[in-house]
Order: sequence, then structure tokens, then C-alpha cells
Amino acid sequence: MMNSANAPAPAEISPCACDPQLVRIRDLIYQVAGIFQPDNKLLLLQDRCAKRMKMLGMATLYEYYECLTVKPMRQAEITSLLNEITIGETCFFRNQPQLDAIRNVVLPKILEAKSKLPLRHLRIWSAGCSTGEEPYTLSILMLEEMVGRLKGWTFEILATDLNQKSLAHAAEGVYGSYSTRNLTTHFRNKYFNPHGEGLYVLPEVKARVNFNRINLSDDSRMAFIKGIDLIMCCNVLIYFDGASKRRVIQHFYNNLLMHGYLLLGHSESLYGISDDFRLVHLPAATAYVKTEKRRFDVR
Amino acid sequence: MTRLRKDEILKRLQRMDKMPTLPVVLIPLLRYLEQPMENLEVQGVVDLISRDKSLTAQCLQLANSPLFGRQQSVDSIYSAVLALGMQRMCDIAVSCSVLKLVPQGKAHMDPVVFWEHSLGCALLSRRFATKIGFADPGKAYLAALLHDIGIVAFLSVVPREFAQAYEVARAQRIPLHEAETAELGLNHGESGHMVSRQWRLAPDLTAVAGYHHTPQDAPDNRALVALVSLADLLCRMTGLGHGLVEQRQVSLTEEPAFHALLQECPKLHDLDWALLTFELEGYLDEVHRLVTSFYRPQ
Repeated sequence: MMNSANAPAPAEISPCACDPQLVRIRDLIYQVAGIFQPDNKLLLLQDRCAKRMKMLGMATLYEYYECLTVKPMRQAEITSLLNEITIGETCFFRNQPQLDAIRNVVLPKILEAKSKLPLRHLRIWSAGCSTGEEPYTLSILMLEEMVGRLKGWTFEILATDLNQKSLAHAAEGVYGSYSTRNLTTHFRNKYFNPHGEGLYVLPEVKARVNFNRINLSDDSRMAFIKGIDLIMCCNVLIYFDGASKRRVIQHFYNNLLMHGYLLLGHSESLYGISDDFRLVHLPAATAYVKTEKRRFDVR
Repeated sequence: MTRLRKDEILKRLQRMDKMPTLPVVLIPLLRYLEQPMENLEVQGVVDLISRDKSLTAQCLQLANSPLFGRQQSVDSIYSAVLALGMQRMCDIAVSCSVLKLVPQGKAHMDPVVFWEHSLGCALLSRRFATKIGFADPGKAYLAALLHDIGIVAFLSVVPREFAQAYEVARAQRIPLHEAETAELGLNHGESGHMVSRQWRLAPDLTAVAGYHHTPQDAPDNRALVALVSLADLLCRMTGLGHGLVEQRQVSLTEEPAFHALLQECPKLHDLDWALLTFELEGYLDEVHRLVTSFYRPQ
């Protein structure tokens, strides 16, 4: 009879039975960019890596891992892989659980914190708004609340990006079927007009959104943004190196009011970047809440 | 509907006559697991599981899931023990045998959502335990798997009253145990404690079943209770909440359980909670697939 001494020790839980090199790449991406590909997304990651490997003429994930870690081109290649990972993510109502959490939990918390202030006004910032789907989604969400929680309040949405072309598209407000694939019929009819093959965002939605070109690394511009209640910054910080990311987060800390919230993209984390925000769990979403501490000076 | 008084519910829980009988293999398996892992014999575990054919089939299904670290396909309990190790195989065997506990048909809670929560919480607890250097991750798995046994008790002895509490939790988007206290006068922690004692489960499993919603009141096994309490809360906030949504904001590091666990596991201080959450999200599809395949085989 065989006893347990002969049996292998229980392996550390590793729910994925895939190529260990892929897991190493997943962990590397989390370490350098703060975005995690859960086990159920690993096939997608493998697909994205395969695309890059084909372009680079590489045959194995082992070679590709080397390319991401030791070759002189590693930084550029990490950016290229991140581009592949986040490609096609922009659309209206991209992350429904996060939007539900904003509407049902975050918004009431912010309103409660501001209830004693004389000014009943909300400031939301979509940082890295790309072609505008995110700030317009937020505008629609808040307009829906104007007859509910936001009755008697006003709001504005600041939408910034580095890319002038994206901002021009956003300001135009015309979108094709891919961007609008998650829109319910209700929202489609209420906040959009048909425009050729696509949809045009109605002026009442656009009027609440101010588009501006801002580089998040530009200390002088960042220092002037004040009084923000909620920052959405999805799949933007992943492209910054550690030091730049810390600077941007310190700016965000200063940009936010005391009760302010910072929401990142799905599976994006601030771990190891900043202790000045408290991670909170919302229904099927996470957020970072500004904690009380001294004001930061960004040097 | 006339409301049952709390003392009547307690009486029914004590009588046990409507409680499901424990699967034959579970008690010997749990007793067996009380021994130090190095004393366990492979053949002993294989024999215990092989007594029950449907249990054997379900164990192989779990053993072939990536959630249990499968590296290669296994087609017998013996080869599964060799491939996965004794601890993992025991986890699987206990999981499969307790999966049979929820009363089906007349139950007012879908057994799929119940066991998705329990299995997800067990997997998360083991992962969590390993990350923070908790002494016995296998025990964390087992305790989490059985932590909501009080719900099984309610489903068995007061099904209609429990259904009412479940509906209140769903409509008001509040935690289930709060709705139970409001509707029944006691929650599944209290019923879980009673039933675990009557079933003569180990004291640490009984403590977790009894105090995972009030870890600060646990008289003993406080770290284990706290660990499962935090894992349970994280599961509920990450889409594994018995089919319910709790509309609130939770800060895990401000929970009483966090401070209780920190005393035993200082590594908890540096835990990357976001990463643990993302890892849990990565399990969800597979947990759903496995549990559904048990209850609604194609």
C-alpha cells in the first residue's frame, strides 16, 4: 500500500492548466502595467501574444517572454501587447456592473458627503476619454438620475485625452454599430438620433461634456483641475511606467474632493503604486476612495 | 402567512427529523481528515470514495477541472490522487459529497447558486490562506465549503419562512443574514452552529458555520473564522452571493475579521486585495460550469 509520502505534495492552486510561459507573461503584465488577465481570459491573452509573435517572427511563448523582459525593445513591445489587450474595448456602457455600482452606490455616497454643502453640483472627470463613449455614457447615466437622486442638482463632465484625433471624433458625436452595440433600445431611442449608418449623440447629452486635450503627465495642467467628485480612468495608467503612474495618481488625489472616488478599468489595480486611496468593493466592481491625509505636492 | 416564532424554529432545528441525512461517506471522510495529512493512506481515501459510484463520477469531474490544478486527464480516483495529491483529492471528495446536501425540488433556493457560493468561497479561502501564510489552507477550504450549512438547515426545517427572508434580501438588496434575522429572529450562522454540533462536525468547522457573520464573537478558532468571513464577503461582492446583490460599499480592511486575522497572519497587511478579487473573477465561469453540470447534467 502506498502512503502519502510517495504521493506528490499538493500543488499551489493554479486554476489554469495552460502554458506556464503564458502565466509568466500574465504576471509580468500585472507587475509592470497593473492590469490582470484572469484565468478565464488567458486564451484571449494567448491569442494576443500569438498575434504579436507572428509579427515578430517568433515561434514560442518562451522567446516572446524573453522579448518582453530582456531585449532592448522590451518597453515598446509591452506597449504593443497592451494595445492588443485593450483593443476594441471602447464602447458605450462598456462595463455595466461598474456603471450600476456608480449609479446605485457611489453616487448616493457622494451626494451624502456633499449634502451639507450649499452648492449642489457634481464634477466628473473621464481621464483618457478616447473617442468619447465613456463620458457620454456617464452623461446619459446622470441625466437619467436628474429625475431621481440628482433632482435639484447640476453636473458637468470633464473629458480629456492626449490624442487630438480622438477628441475631434468625440466632439463630433457620431458612432457606428460597434461602439453602440451595448446600448439598450431605451437609451438608443432616448439619447441618440440616426445618422447615416450610425447614431448621433443628442445635444442634451453633449452639452454636459467638456472635451479638452490634456496630457496626464503635464504637471502644470493637472495642478489646475480641482473639485472633482469622481474620476474614471480606464486602461490609461497601464501605459505609464511606475514613476509616471505615481505622479498621475498623486495628481488625481489632489484633483479629487475629500470624498472623491477613482475608478479604473476592469482588472486594473493601484497595488504598489499608491497607499493614498482605499480599495473598496462595490457589487461586482471595485473602486478607490480618497483617504484623509496631507495634501501632496507633486515634485 | 402566520409567522413562526424564533423558539419554534429552534425546536424544529433541534429535532433534526426534517434535516437531510449526511451522505454516508462524508462523516468517515471528515474523521479521516482529522488525522495529520502525512498519516493518510492513498488506498484508504480511494476505498472510501469508491464505495459510491455517483460520488466517484463527480469526483473525477472535479479532478479534471482546472480549478483543482489539473495538469493531465485522470480517469480513476487512484490516478487522481497521484496526479493531484492527497490534500486536493480529499477536498474534491468532501466537496462532491456535501454537494448532495441541499434539498432539491421543493427548495426555495436554487442549489446551483448555493453551491456556487460555497465552492467559490472554498477555493478562494484556500488561495487566500496560502497567500497570507495561514497555517492550514486545507482546513480553510473545508471550513468555507461548509460555512453556510445553516442555510441547508433553514431550507430543510422552515423552507417557506426562509423563502420569505430570501425575498426580502433580494428586494431590499441587503445581506441575507440580516434579512433572516429580521424575518426569522435568527440567522444561518445560529442555525449553522446548532446543526454542526448535532452532526458532530469538528469544533473549528462548527465555529466557522456559527460565527462567520460575527467573527468578533467567536470564542475560539478566531483566525479561521475571520479568514472565511472575509472570503465569504469578497465572494458576495464579486457576483457569488447566492443569486443576490448587496447594494453597498465594503472595505475589507475595515472589517472586524480583518483585525482578528491580522493578529495571526501579519502578511495580511500587505495582501493585494485587488489581485485576489481578479483571481476570484477568473474562477467564476468554471465554478458555474462545474456546479451546473452536477445539478443539471446535459
